[in-house]
Amino acid sequence: MITWDNFIYFAAPTVALWALAIGMLYRKNIPAGTAKPGMRYQPESAGLRPVYGSVVLALAGIILFATFILLMWMSLDRPPMRTMGETRLWYTFFLSAIGLVMYLKWRHHWILSFSLVVASVFILINITRPEIHSKDLMPALQSIWFVPHVIAYILSYAFMSAATIAAILLLYRKDYTDRSLVALTDNVIYIGFGLLMVGLLIGAVWAKEAWGHYWSWDPKETWAFITAAGYLMYIHIRLREHKIRTFTLWLVIFSFVLLMITWKGVNYLPAAQGSVHVYGN
Amino acid sequence: MDENVKRAWWQAPWGYKESIAVVGGLSAVGLMLQLTIGNFDFGLLQYPVGLVAILLVTGLTGIMIWRHRSPFFLWFSGLPLSVSVIGGVLFFATIMGLVPQHADGHEHAHSPLGFDTVTRSWPFVLLYMLLVVNLSMVTARRLLNFNWRDYAFYLNHFGLLLLLVAAGIGAADLRRYVMHVQEDATEWRVFSDSGDMLELPVAIHLKDFYMEEYIPKLAIVDKSTGESYPAGNPKMWQIDTVKTAGAIADWQIEVLDYIHEAVRASDSTYRQVPMPGSCPAVRVRVTNAATGFDRTGWICGGNFAQLYMTMELDGQLSMVMTRPEPKLYRSDVVVYTQSEKAIPASIEVNKPLKVDNWYIYQYSYDSDLGKASATSSFELVYDPWLTWVYVGLWMFIAGSVLLIWEGNKKSKLKKNDHLG
Ligand code: HEM
Repeated sequence: MITWDNFIYFAAPTVALWALAIGMLYRKNIPAGTAKPGMRYQPESAGLRPVYGSVVLALAGIILFATFILLMWMSLDRPPMRTMGETRLWYTFFLSAIGLVMYLKWRHHWILSFSLVVASVFILINITRPEIHSKDLMPALQSIWFVPHVIAYILSYAFMSAATIAAILLLYRKDYTDRSLVALTDNVIYIGFGLLMVGLLIGAVWAKEAWGHYWSWDPKETWAFITAAGYLMYIHIRLREHKIRTFTLWLVIFSFVLLMITWKGVNYLPAAQGSVHVYGN
Repeated sequence: MDENVKRAWWQAPWGYKESIAVVGGLSAVGLMLQLTIGNFDFGLLQYPVGLVAILLVTGLTGIMIWRHRSPFFLWFSGLPLSVSVIGGVLFFATIMGLVPQHADGHEHAHSPLGFDTVTRSWPFVLLYMLLVVNLSMVTARRLLNFNWRDYAFYLNHFGLLLLLVAAGIGAADLRRYVMHVQEDATEWRVFSDSGDMLELPVAIHLKDFYMEEYIPKLAIVDKSTGESYPAGNPKMWQIDTVKTAGAIADWQIEVLDYIHEAVRASDSTYRQVPMPGSCPAVRVRVTNAATGFDRTGWICGGNFAQLYMTMELDGQLSMVMTRPEPKLYRSDVVVYTQSEKAIPASIEVNKPLKVDNWYIYQYSYDSDLGKASATSSFELVYDPWLTWVYVGLWMFIAGSVLLIWEGNKKSKLKKNDHLG
């Protein structure tokens, strides 16, 4: 029987492995010859080889962490997705896994280090504030749509965070000519938006079964809709935009703020009193 | 790229400036209408007017196809207008997300601009309609240069179009009622929002209401204030029959005996009796190393038939059991229709029953009686447009999955940029 009491034995080594992975990443940073003094980022990531030591260490941490989730799942007899603490487990897992895959594809060092740092922050929150009450799943949540709905959303959050960091980097450097970084932003938002829509639409199918209607403009649904509209604008603006503009990059950040409101902020809005999506108080 | 060409306002080809102006203008018209005549009346769109609206959208799209090279329709079916309308809808949806909204029953907005009934306010409805017309033209224009490689585009846009139309018009034809049924009785009457009694074409006979509960938790309360302990950061302990030891703050708990369906005997002990009036009871040993407290006894949350039993810890605190939460509830029913069908079924949360164009949902029960409830409530939903909603929904889901898949190819596509 695995419980939260055992969390630290999985969490601590995971964070340690990831810290080592990040350390190794920057120890042998930019290949000789391509770096100018004082330059922190590669303008084009192509041609960079991934730091394999970091990849192995990051992967080991991810596998260790996934083992904990799996054991929790088995001992709870249901997917660990009900409490905030449990949701954070998935956020940690997907963020690190996606970070690794994207690093292998795009080779930007910041992708891996950023995703591992944020994933570790979620681990730390879980150690200090586990929020593990309430083991019971109310009947409306007992549905086959529950797992795909939550996973699609969490995955989407992970992709959108990466896109947001890329947009911030571009804005910060005031240089939008890094084609690989712009392409990464577009690409990641396409994937993240697809996942966002899958999560939202599966939610609608589920709502029909559980509450009688597929769309009720409940505050959480309203904000999910607003978020989708934000990213939809980005996608369509980019269709004809040859060189990304400052406005478009700010739209990425703005949409991410909307996403965060949908995820967490809704509970605190006056409009959300009585929402069917606010559980566990 | 028209951004590089200096144009005067309203000179063809129209771009973002004109699109934003049109969306802003339409919103202003909507706000005026809202101020003068109040909410949009969805009743207007009831069958058959909804069909006429669809024909209108189709007709407009037809004209667009016929005049597809005209500057006006190039603009009407173009990206700048799409992006601007989506932005306009985003704006009003944000108001909806910030201002507490009134439920459907309230037909009158308290805010003169309709900000507390956004989905029924004129600006939102008008922008929604513009979005539908624009989306329809966008899809049709792509169909003019049909290409199999655009399958993701078609699925997304046509799926969303179906969804927006069927959901928008469906809102006018949708009927939802709650029906309360007694065990062993048959019911066909419901009350409408305005309190009138209505007779429905379906009747429900309730044979049995059945419910299962989760194992409850233990908590400590302050007897004088009724507050949970520790004050400010109350803790509960989930009773566990496998891992039998636990604690709430410095009170150690050990489970000796747990009975899920217990009835109290005359000697204040509990026995297992599976009957509607039973409730969970637990025998625990509670110790406190700091004070040397050590006591063994029964704790029970009680219900309508059973007294509760607590354990006194000191002059101030008592250990109590929380009410068990529902795990599953369902109604065994027979549904009768006007077509003389008698359908035996079991209706459960997340497992509605579909009869003709009606969906029947398990809605609630008498929560004071819990699993002994002799009534069950059902929500009956009539939605003749639902089939189209589902077709649109699943097309859109398929399109979104393709979007995830195609995300990778996007960067390659951008290079030869045939989109621009
Ligand atoms: C809200 C309603 C929407 C409108 C008004 C709209 C409008 C448009 C327009 C005008 C284009 C350009 C078409 C062309 O160049 O011929 C376009 C393209 C596109 N739209 Fe939308 N769109 C909407 C919703 C969506 C949604 C929900 C998605 C995705 C889930 C989406 C994904 C796309 C994609 C991927 C393209 C590019 C097509 C391609 O690369 O072949 N759109 N949209």
